[in-house]
Amino acid sequence: MNALFKSRRSRIGVLAFALAGLFVLALLRLTALVIFDGPRLDSLARSEHTGEAELAAVRGPIVDRFGEPLALSAETRSVYARPARLFASSTASERVKLAALLGMTPARLEALLMKPAPFVWLRRRIAPERAREVEALGLDGVGALSEYKRFYPESDLAAAVVGLAGMDGQGLSGVELQYDRYIRGEPVELTFYHDAYGHPIFDSPLALKSPEPGDRVQLTIDARIQSLAENRLAEEVAASGAKHGTAVVLNPFTGEVLALANVSAHPDPVRDRLHDSAIQDVFEPGSTMKAMLASVALEDHAITPTEMFYCENGAFRVDGRTIHDDSPHGYLDLGRILEVSSNIGASKIAFKLGAERFYRGLRTFGLGRRTGIDLPGEATGILRKPSTWRQIDLANHAFGQGVAVTPMQLAVAYSAIANGGLVVRPYVVESIRDAQGRAVLTHTPQVIDRAIAPAVAHQVNVLLRNVVYGPDGTARRAQVDGFLVAGKTGTAQMVNPVSGRYYQNHFVASFVGFLPANDPRLVILVVLYDVGHGHFGGVVAAPVFSQIALGSARALDIASDAPPAYDTASLLSIDRLLGLSRKSGAQLSDSLPGTESVADRSGASGTATPDFVGLSLREAFATARRARLNLSVTGDGYVVRQAPAPGSPLARLPVKLQLASVDDSPSGASARALARGARPNLSRRAP
Amino acid sequence: MPLIDRRLLSYFDWTLFAIVLMLEGLGLLTVLSASYVPSAHRMDPLFVRQLIWIGVGTLLMAGAVLFDYRALVGYSYPLYVVAVLLLIGVEVIGHSSGGSRRWINLRLFKLEPSELAKIAVMFVMVRYFRLEPPPGGWGFRHLIIPFLLLGLPTALVLKQPDLGTAIVLVLITGTLLFVSGLNWRVMAALMVAGMLAAPLSWHYLKPYQRTRLVSFIDPQADPLGSGYHIIQSEIAIGGGGSWGKGFMKGTQARLNFLPEETTDFIFAVYAEEFGLAGSLLLLGLYACLVGRGLWIARHARDRFGSLLAIGITGMIFWQVAINMMMTTGMLPVVGIPLPMISYGGSSMLVTMAGMGLLISINARRHTF
Repeated sequence: MNALFKSRRSRIGVLAFALAGLFVLALLRLTALVIFDGPRLDSLARSEHTGEAELAAVRGPIVDRFGEPLALSAETRSVYARPARLFASSTASERVKLAALLGMTPARLEALLMKPAPFVWLRRRIAPERAREVEALGLDGVGALSEYKRFYPESDLAAAVVGLAGMDGQGLSGVELQYDRYIRGEPVELTFYHDAYGHPIFDSPLALKSPEPGDRVQLTIDARIQSLAENRLAEEVAASGAKHGTAVVLNPFTGEVLALANVSAHPDPVRDRLHDSAIQDVFEPGSTMKAMLASVALEDHAITPTEMFYCENGAFRVDGRTIHDDSPHGYLDLGRILEVSSNIGASKIAFKLGAERFYRGLRTFGLGRRTGIDLPGEATGILRKPSTWRQIDLANHAFGQGVAVTPMQLAVAYSAIANGGLVVRPYVVESIRDAQGRAVLTHTPQVIDRAIAPAVAHQVNVLLRNVVYGPDGTARRAQVDGFLVAGKTGTAQMVNPVSGRYYQNHFVASFVGFLPANDPRLVILVVLYDVGHGHFGGVVAAPVFSQIALGSARALDIASDAPPAYDTASLLSIDRLLGLSRKSGAQLSDSLPGTESVADRSGASGTATPDFVGLSLREAFATARRARLNLSVTGDGYVVRQAPAPGSPLARLPVKLQLASVDDSPSGASARALARGARPNLSRRAP
Repeated sequence: MPLIDRRLLSYFDWTLFAIVLMLEGLGLLTVLSASYVPSAHRMDPLFVRQLIWIGVGTLLMAGAVLFDYRALVGYSYPLYVVAVLLLIGVEVIGHSSGGSRRWINLRLFKLEPSELAKIAVMFVMVRYFRLEPPPGGWGFRHLIIPFLLLGLPTALVLKQPDLGTAIVLVLITGTLLFVSGLNWRVMAALMVAGMLAAPLSWHYLKPYQRTRLVSFIDPQADPLGSGYHIIQSEIAIGGGGSWGKGFMKGTQARLNFLPEETTDFIFAVYAEEFGLAGSLLLLGLYACLVGRGLWIARHARDRFGSLLAIGITGMIFWQVAINMMMTTGMLPVVGIPLPMISYGGSSMLVTMAGMGLLISINARRHTF
């Protein structure tokens, strides 16, 4: 060892080796860092200096079927500051001006700028003009970025259908969520370099492409009908003390949803947009179920329309429990069972049908499965397997207890009765078009199932008219001037969610029906939740139905299938021209509210067949109702012939009426035009 | 004697000169890249100043070549006194930057006396050990005065605080002791003592120096704080890959992720832009420089020249080694510039003077 260190020169040699060793060490470390850690470190570098930003696209509008906007997006500007740069480049008086433009006190602005951040929002979502004024100050360190704000120009109209979009422009509920990928457009993803302080580097590769605006969604909703439904429903919710109400208006042949209204006694603008009671909540339908029972029983030939059922005089024990009717009845046929809404009669039909067949029939009507409506979060309802049904369960199902449906399911089931037996898929979006107007999506009606044969559907259709027009009909308040209505009331006890038992004084009252019964164009369902005793479907829901139906029929210009009484006033002079003036007095009194429609004529209250000739269909039905007669009607317009002849003894058989249209005469056409022109236009959002 | 001895030219070490010029060129490019500000459309003042320093440094180098290094024996102690006085001056009227007081502001430029201290300590050590050691080498008793001479400036530098320069002062002295013929038992004893003393020195470290040591062991413990330097440096070097991102295209330095990018961490900037290939080239140039310095030391005409060459070479080597090991995460972060690459006037002048002396020593080995 000494030898090595003996001479200076050899020591320099040793030093050279030592230093070379350290160089080699550094070299190895460098190589390892690049070769082995390189890829990992490189991705670290990338994640450090590349930023991604999304330039949001403007959300597409949502409009009703006539293009009335229900949801729009408007550009707003958000003003930001880089505090350090702003302080460095501005004077105190400039900042006072800035604060004034932003609508805040100078002290508030200074407080915002004191935040230890390189970037602060000063004011978000202000009008572009205001932002331009701020930019016109020319302060370094202050700028504005575009953001889009969603707003709903018609306020809460069709809130649950339209849904809600969040602050970041993302659909949260309703159509906004269901069709979000169309509505949101194509945002541009930017990748850019930024420095360690987060400033973007502008000479880095920026994708300079503007975002693609969202598509325009056209709903099937008719804003006029929607508005009407919401207003009438709100009035009834307030009047009846219901917790909330739902109304659905469907085109029974296509499944188009013309209106879908949810009204709460205590409105909450956000909750009402997030929650769509009509498709997300279920209720026990009650007696409205009897129409499906009748349909299934007739379709399966389990019963005949003329078959009589003994209704036990109002009390019937099944499985140790007693089924009650509102009033005692003896023998009733199917029509009368529906008309008086006999639970006992319905039970007996169900017994004859059997659980398995009843269940399968209800399934084909769409109960216990989603309707497939194009809205998110639809409930399936509750329809238990028939193997679990005891006799009492079978009876309960017959009058709609122990089974739960969504309002939409019930409306779809009645659409099947109205349209001749087809279960259609309901939908709320008619079409979607891109910014250039090209159709991206167009909905066509879709049939899911055939529930019943057309003949059976027609039979039930006719029987359901009795509910509205029959002398003991439970839904006489559902009548609509000028139209023949078929439908059914429902009143179901609500289940106490705590005890699992039925409340004695909490009810769900409903009415579902369609019109014109001879050529159904509208199915309308009205449900009022949690009403007290006495507020039955026929009392609270039926009048709402009537109001919505009348307004909708006018809005859609649906031709009457029963000449409207109020129209005859305007037709007075025409009537005279037509030589019908002899009845004008009666018609005039008819147009006054609160009076009985048609004055008694030749023995209507007696034992002879009344004179129907010259009456409108509506007047003829009113007369027949008073005389407890059934009518068999052919043609439309005014009665020109009847059998049996006026004055002949009353028979149980229906009176046959032959009607002829006033269209046949040239003046008739002008009379109709006049009548239509005289109709008051439905004002939107009328109280 | 004519102003320029003809033999000086015929024995001029062009190789060494070329290496120095290449290193300066690479350094200038890297400073240009590291100081580049995207928005400014003129050259950064930092780059211009570095250009001036290189010019002045080259003049100083030329002067040192012309100077007979043997005359410097007499200037060793005055230079030492000036350096120590300047270090004391730093304490009194020093200019602070980055948490330590290292500069004296001379209006025209800021003098960094600790750079001067490196060469001053080297000179006094060379002067002290210029005579042949006794048989068996220098013993403990010969080391008392050198240790005092080393201790005073080291303590002053530590006070600034500038741990890196203090370490370099100790390493230069150690290298000179070794080559000048220290008794190997004494040397072994000193190394053992140094190792034992290292843990004790913990108590004398400043808090920021302690956290640097901790973050050297585990940089991820505080990736945005004390571990930030080393992580960013490794990211830049590793991210550069084999061939680099290209001149002026390094992202980490240009986007301000890398701290101290024109001085202590300039190697990371260089390695990111020129890759492993560039790093090996740089390492090779330094290796040639150090090798050439050792060769000159070995072949110097006299012992003083030989030790002086060792001192200068050691000064360059230890700074390069510590700087590279620091930027690649092999050593804790201590502030050491990379000679001829890092921005900094004092460091540039001292290094260039050293290079001039090396060339001078080489050229004069044939003169008697």
